[in-house]
Amino acid sequence: MGEALIRGFLRSKVSSPGRICVSVRDVERQDALERIGIGSIFGDATDGGSKEVAQFSSVILLCTKPQAMTEVLQSLAPHVTSEHLVISVAAGITLQTLESALGEGVRVVRVMPNTPALVQCGASAYALGKNVTARDADIVDLLLSSVGFCIAVEEKQLDAVTGLSGSGPAYVYLMIEAMADGGVMAGLPRETALALAAKTVAGAAQMVFGDDGGSNSSSALGMVHPGVLKDRVASPAGTTIAGLAELESSGVRGAFIRAVSRAAQRAKEIGS
Amino acid sequence: MADKRIGFIGAGQMAEALARGFINKGVCKAEHMWATDPVDERKEVFRSFGTNPVDGNIEVVTSSDVIFIAVKPQYVSVVLREVRPHLEDRHTIVSIAAGITLQSLKDAAGDGIRLVRVMPNTPCLVGETAAAMCLGGKADDSDAQLVQRLFDSVGKIYRVDEKLLSAVTGLSGSGPAYIFLMIEALADGGVRSGLPRDIANQLAAQTVLGSAKMVLQTGKHCGALKDMTCSPAGTTIAGIHELEKAGTRAAFMNAVYAATQRADELAKSG
Repeated sequence: MGEALIRGFLRSKVSSPGRICVSVRDVERQDALERIGIGSIFGDATDGGSKEVAQFSSVILLCTKPQAMTEVLQSLAPHVTSEHLVISVAAGITLQTLESALGEGVRVVRVMPNTPALVQCGASAYALGKNVTARDADIVDLLLSSVGFCIAVEEKQLDAVTGLSGSGPAYVYLMIEAMADGGVMAGLPRETALALAAKTVAGAAQMVFGDDGGSNSSSALGMVHPGVLKDRVASPAGTTIAGLAELESSGVRGAFIRAVSRAAQRAKEIGS
Repeated sequence: MADKRIGFIGAGQMAEALARGFINKGVCKAEHMWATDPVDERKEVFRSFGTNPVDGNIEVVTSSDVIFIAVKPQYVSVVLREVRPHLEDRHTIVSIAAGITLQSLKDAAGDGIRLVRVMPNTPCLVGETAAAMCLGGKADDSDAQLVQRLFDSVGKIYRVDEKLLSAVTGLSGSGPAYIFLMIEALADGGVRSGLPRDIANQLAAQTVLGSAKMVLQTGKHCGALKDMTCSPAGTTIAGIHELEKAGTRAAFMNAVYAATQRADELAKSG
């Protein structure tokens, strides 16, 4: 996720290699970052890396796995001041945890991004900590908008965001693969079926954003209801309604609702 | 390509999307486009973005090199028979009418004509079509390249044998509706979990768009991409489990297959 964000920031030019530093434990990850041109690469956060990052940066992104967070926060706490803006993308780590660990005056933000940030088409939501200023919120918005769509939410909504946009890509990959399988079953070569399936999904999603295609805008204006779009393309006794009938008979809508709900519930379990 | 003139017989929404796409991506200038439609309003729309609307099908044909037949399927034959005496070797006929075979195009347009049959899909309206084409009559590789170049400006197009066009219909033709259903259901899941509807809608649509772009741009296998996002005992694998329990994969395969079969039925009866 951290790499996806870095690559996204560089691609959209909201930052540059010279203005980004990273602390990573893995040598392989260090090599990968060197290859993107990141100049300042520090070692393990718990082994001096945190201090170096805090000295280099005014905005610190915490992209470690949730289970490593306690240690990382402990190592960072002595070096972080009220001059820093700390942004955590670690799932399930609450603002309260972050604020208690880092010190009461520290400005923290909690983000749930998703992996398509890598291709500048991410979906992120963020919740602001109690010391965060309006300027901080603007910075967060600027960073996240550079890699896709972002929106401010209440902290208690972040579990739902996790279930939907955080975990959502996996559901979409499953669906694209299944559609391609359907195409192969109907006689198409795999490569053609996959290309058509993926492009169809991209195109359909773009249509939901409406004519201005502004998928990176945080305004819902101009969006078209998916049900309306579905009605428009399902002509009487046509091929589309035949396909839809299969999906409805199989309870696909319910399956997606349960997928999002269960994942959101799991996020809540992990976080507590 | 720069010197090819493009004509549209039928100036509806699809034709407009194609014309605007060609102009925006610079594959054809507006002043090198002609169009006709029985409805005056549609001609005015085409005039408004700089093309040349005219009053008859024949004038479109005599003014153009590449002619899009963009009328409803039931009128394709009538239109081609009307313009048949004016068709020359330079002409490439591109039909986007669903279910109208190369044979019936040939029957109407005559022998020795370059024929291309294209199955686009609705996202053509937003410049993101997933389309397929097949060649007939005297059409050759240069026609295929030309049509490819044109459609690359409004999405992606793949060449297939005509017998596979029903499958293309079932997959990319009808596919957008399956995705609209999924986006609504994902948003419902978000609302079920506490998100306001408008936020759920935006996150759902953007998640679907971004994930498709990951497949298209990284070239990684869908299964590999799925594996990469499923951390041990995490939220994602819990969601995936629900989809697998419900037989979601089979449902989508069935949808594509059922739509393909319906396309075959329609082709036989049409």
